[in-house]
Amino acid sequence: MSQFANTLLMLAATFIPFVAAIVLLFVPKDRSEIFKKGALFATVLSFALSVPFFFAYDRTSDAVQWAQSWSWIPSLGIQFSVGMDGISLLLWLLTTFIGPIAILCSWEAITERLKEYYVWLLVLQTAMLGVFITQDMFLFYVFWEVMLVPMYFLIGIWGGPQKLYAAIKLFLYTLAGSVLLLVAVLAIYFLQVETNGTLDFSLASFQAMAPVIAEQTRTYQTLLALAFFLAFAIKVPMFPFHTWLPDAHVQAPTAGSVILAGILLKMGTYGFVRLLLPIFPTAVKDLMPWFIALSLIGIIYGALVAMIQKDMKKLVAYSSVSHLGMCMLGIFALNPYGFKGALFQMINHGISTPGLFLAVAVVYDRRHTRMIADFGGLSETMPVYSTIFMIMTMSSIGLPLLNGFIGELIILQGSFQAFPWAAVVATTGIILGAAYMLWMFQRVMFGSISDVNRKMPDLTPREIIVFAPLVVMAIWIGLYPRPLMDIMDRPVAKLVRQLSPDYYQAPSLSADQEKAKQEGMRGMEAPQNPNNTGNSEVIEEKR
Amino acid sequence: MNESSIPHLMAVSHSVSYLWLIPFLPLFGFLINGLTGKYLRNNQLVNGIALGSVGVSFLLSAFYFFQLLQLPEASRSLHQSLWTWFDVGGARIAGNVLTYATVEWAYKFDVLSATMALLVTGAGFLIHLFSTGYMEEEQKDHRYYRFMAYLNLFIFSMLNLVLGANILMMFLGWEGVGLCSYLLIGFYFDKTYAGDAAKKAFVTNRIGDFGFMLGFFLIFMVFGSLDFDTLMGSARSIMSSQSITLFGHTATPTFWMNLIGGCLFVGAMGKSAQIPLYVWLPDAMAGPTPVSALIHAATMVTSGLYMITRLNFIFINAPAALHLILFVGALTALMAASMGLAQNDIKKVLAYSTVSQLGFMFMGMGAGAFTAGMFHVFTHAFFKACLFLGSGSVIMACHHEQDMRNMGGLRKYMPWTFWSMLLSTFAIAGIFPFSGFFSKDEILWKVFEEWYQGGTYQGSTLYLATWLMGMVAAFFTAFYMMRLICMTFLGNYRGNGDDPYHLTVHEEAHGHDHHQGGTHVPHEVPWNMWVPVFILALLAVGGGFLNVPHALHFLGHSYFSEWISPILYQVASIPEGIEAVSKMEYVLMIWATVIWAPGAMALAYWMYASDPSWSRAQAFVKNYPGLFEWVHARYYIDEFYEALIIKPMKRLGGQLWSFDTWVVDGMVNGASRATLLLADLSYWFDTYIVDGLVNFVAWIFQQFASLFKAFQSGRVQNYAFVMLLGFVLLIFFKFLV
Repeated sequence: MSQFANTLLMLAATFIPFVAAIVLLFVPKDRSEIFKKGALFATVLSFALSVPFFFAYDRTSDAVQWAQSWSWIPSLGIQFSVGMDGISLLLWLLTTFIGPIAILCSWEAITERLKEYYVWLLVLQTAMLGVFITQDMFLFYVFWEVMLVPMYFLIGIWGGPQKLYAAIKLFLYTLAGSVLLLVAVLAIYFLQVETNGTLDFSLASFQAMAPVIAEQTRTYQTLLALAFFLAFAIKVPMFPFHTWLPDAHVQAPTAGSVILAGILLKMGTYGFVRLLLPIFPTAVKDLMPWFIALSLIGIIYGALVAMIQKDMKKLVAYSSVSHLGMCMLGIFALNPYGFKGALFQMINHGISTPGLFLAVAVVYDRRHTRMIADFGGLSETMPVYSTIFMIMTMSSIGLPLLNGFIGELIILQGSFQAFPWAAVVATTGIILGAAYMLWMFQRVMFGSISDVNRKMPDLTPREIIVFAPLVVMAIWIGLYPRPLMDIMDRPVAKLVRQLSPDYYQAPSLSADQEKAKQEGMRGMEAPQNPNNTGNSEVIEEKR
Repeated sequence: MNESSIPHLMAVSHSVSYLWLIPFLPLFGFLINGLTGKYLRNNQLVNGIALGSVGVSFLLSAFYFFQLLQLPEASRSLHQSLWTWFDVGGARIAGNVLTYATVEWAYKFDVLSATMALLVTGAGFLIHLFSTGYMEEEQKDHRYYRFMAYLNLFIFSMLNLVLGANILMMFLGWEGVGLCSYLLIGFYFDKTYAGDAAKKAFVTNRIGDFGFMLGFFLIFMVFGSLDFDTLMGSARSIMSSQSITLFGHTATPTFWMNLIGGCLFVGAMGKSAQIPLYVWLPDAMAGPTPVSALIHAATMVTSGLYMITRLNFIFINAPAALHLILFVGALTALMAASMGLAQNDIKKVLAYSTVSQLGFMFMGMGAGAFTAGMFHVFTHAFFKACLFLGSGSVIMACHHEQDMRNMGGLRKYMPWTFWSMLLSTFAIAGIFPFSGFFSKDEILWKVFEEWYQGGTYQGSTLYLATWLMGMVAAFFTAFYMMRLICMTFLGNYRGNGDDPYHLTVHEEAHGHDHHQGGTHVPHEVPWNMWVPVFILALLAVGGGFLNVPHALHFLGHSYFSEWISPILYQVASIPEGIEAVSKMEYVLMIWATVIWAPGAMALAYWMYASDPSWSRAQAFVKNYPGLFEWVHARYYIDEFYEALIIKPMKRLGGQLWSFDTWVVDGMVNGASRATLLLADLSYWFDTYIVDGLVNFVAWIFQQFASLFKAFQSGRVQNYAFVMLLGFVLLIFFKFLV
């Protein structure tokens, strides 16, 4: 019973923004305060309801928790099926966490058509949350597509000068991928009908199809896998499917950029982890060299292009291409380090990049320009702002004590275990990362300050409230990432076993290492007798 | 300590409870000052917190140091584990086995880290104290608390680096000191060159980190752990294995150790400013002088050496890596020393001197003499910190003048500073019995000995070559230091226009504050500045006796070497008995300290002090203009990097951006344009072909219709006629055909 209540709570946290959107529809247009506060309240409530799940999650199990299904379209085997494992839980929590920030950062920036704006934002919030809790392929696809519509309007109505171009590009580009996804999903569905005679759209049944798919012809498998790949790669976005991203980011209102960078991009990586890899383990391994190459190109290419950007938002957008390339590299390592690092990096990127977009928005709101050349010396008059900008920059370039370090390091370690040369190339990406971020920071914050910029006030209390949670999370994850790692531990192990069943079968070094640790510096002593190397008891006696 | 008195049968290391406070106290200092400094605006309080936290850290380090002293030599190790930092899960490593190693947030206080912790907190405290005087002007504005907070953050990071119980903790500190260095070099952020220098330092260090990271990734793949105790405990069994298979490549352990050692050394090159990654350190002098003393002379730049000593069990088994280290160290020592000869900015001289001295330390490491290298880290920390702080005092006394040509004669105005710096100059030049003699001479001897081989001269000529380079570098060192003393302290003060030979220059030096004006008299600095300098000078004088080489055993004992030795990997057991002392060692010692270094100093004195017009020096420059220009421009290496790496990188970025816009996005837009074109085509097709076909069909029918229309006239006789015709035809076919 309490299990059922928890499921309902999870659904409540997911759908509260949507319900709030419906309610707000009936509020007269001119009551702007109600829209702002109502939207904030709904997202905060959703966040508050979601937090207990972090603690309630059973870290010893790799099963989908709080699972529940209701029959929806029985004739096709479609169910309204929900539940979360550690991977989806973390991204779900990230979404509820980013929600209030996206709302609050719009309070002053958005001045027209408030009602529609907040309604769309809330609908978007529920759509994104829905993707992470669904356990049914059909439902997944529904949420996946629904997500696009609010984003389209957010960019198309409240965006910059080329908003329509950017919105249509985003919509059509991702839709193109999604349609291929649908075709591939249906193909697997009918394959399932053929082989098992069952009508089932559940994610579990799709994953269970892996061995059947592995028996199909190579071309067939590859084509299906590529259809999935394309849908997700566009969303990530991986090189060369990334060009919608800078346009969308530059044109989107700040909240749009925050959500885009914070959550939407993770839909792609989530798709890889949840669907592509478990369903097509064989095809993925066949295509691996290509995937690795694209990830590496993304890392280096994104960083190099970011380096020469003059528009801060564009710079951050291209840095996303680089960072997400790093995530993909981790995922394709197909080992625990790679997966955990990638999942970590998704969360870290969801904290630092929204932080950077918000930081850009601070000066944009004051001066209506985002050009790096228009700024300089800001740390003299805006010390709080420059400190926060610095923390976000450092988090983005992966400095220890902050979150980015952990993710990057584990990804690199994981990919090093799988493809050392790829890791070597990727590691150069972090040098470039430091270069372009610090160069931007220097040009904006250091140097002498112009009179126009001198007039800019430091952060307002509202802005500090927007940044505070991001800064706190960045430091907390940097210092004590263990709770997050624990949550993903079992699901990641399950994923690894799905891809290489004998990964955990090898002999373990644990006992030897325990002994070596006790041995410690005694190991430095020259062996008294060459036959007894490392035998501490003998050395102990001689002493 | 109860913990230490309990005999641990199992672990060699003892767990203690307050170790964490050593690094965390400065962190608390940073947090308190960083968060409240802006609002409280109380500089006394800022000082109290900053100095207090580092001071207590020092006392605590000393306390645990004495704990260590009481332990038996082979188990001098304390540790404290705070929490599990990383627990990533299983990893397949060399030999296809699984490791489940976790990474603890843990500190380790053993013979090596204890000495480093004492150095960091001790020198750190003195430099904090100096800063309270040096940063006097900043105390008037809002930046001062930030400066002290950053210094504390630096101490925290540096202590993490030296006390970390595993490589990742060390790396945490490693990156942390890089950040603090960035923040402090860029402290005068309104000056463009400060921001540039800060970024250069950070990015260059990142290049080093690249190597460091690959190095410890490899360590993890070979050893399956990053924990120092585990690594030390398993080193011997790893080395005794026949071969190690990794990434499908089977090779001897030595091969892998060479690879690891090479990668790690790239990391050390970055942090410890070795060729080719040294370029950031001279620029880093844009930071306030206490920062140069603390970070860019005494502590941070020695991290690379600490790392190598910490992981000596890898390096000692990596002969090729050691050769590389030896050669790069010697080359750096020589090149940087030569660059120091032609600098006029007092801080730049010291900066190149630091690079050069670091080169000496690496030479020691490269010769496998880890303790000699580490000992030079210590003596260098004393005399170089003293020299930097002294130069800070000088700069302040001369009202932010950094060009030595505009100084002179300061001896009579600032006696404490003069004597402190002079003593340190003797130390760095390697004059007996100052500390530098004991450390530098030991390094050079160890290198020489590798070639000399007890009189057989059978060693590799690399050792001879590097030893010669080291000797020349030592000559240069003594020269440029004496030159500095002569130009700064001897003669008469030129800053007031008393300049009969027109030696002063008026181009703006890279000082951070320029409020020149009127005549002024240099003055001795306040006590909180000269006292730290003087204490450091005393350490520079006497510090050498902590590690007297065996050849001079009648003067003392090699305490330092013996203290460090338990963590040094012994390749084979050393036979009992005292090593024979080679006569050659005495010869070289006397040569170095009686002829070589004093000769160089005398030459400098002859050129810059006994001849107040410097005409001898200028004659030299005139005779060899190309050489002087080349050295003065620091061999154009910065320009070389700019032209060969930075510019092409940016150009590539620009080209890729065009590629992105025109090709990648061009394809997307092209696809949309193609779709539109297709739509137009379809419309045309639809209008003229599809609909045209429909209309054509309709037209055909229409034609038929009009053809048959004629028949449908509605008149009965016509129908009757057609019926008749049909009937006739039927009959005709029925009967005739």
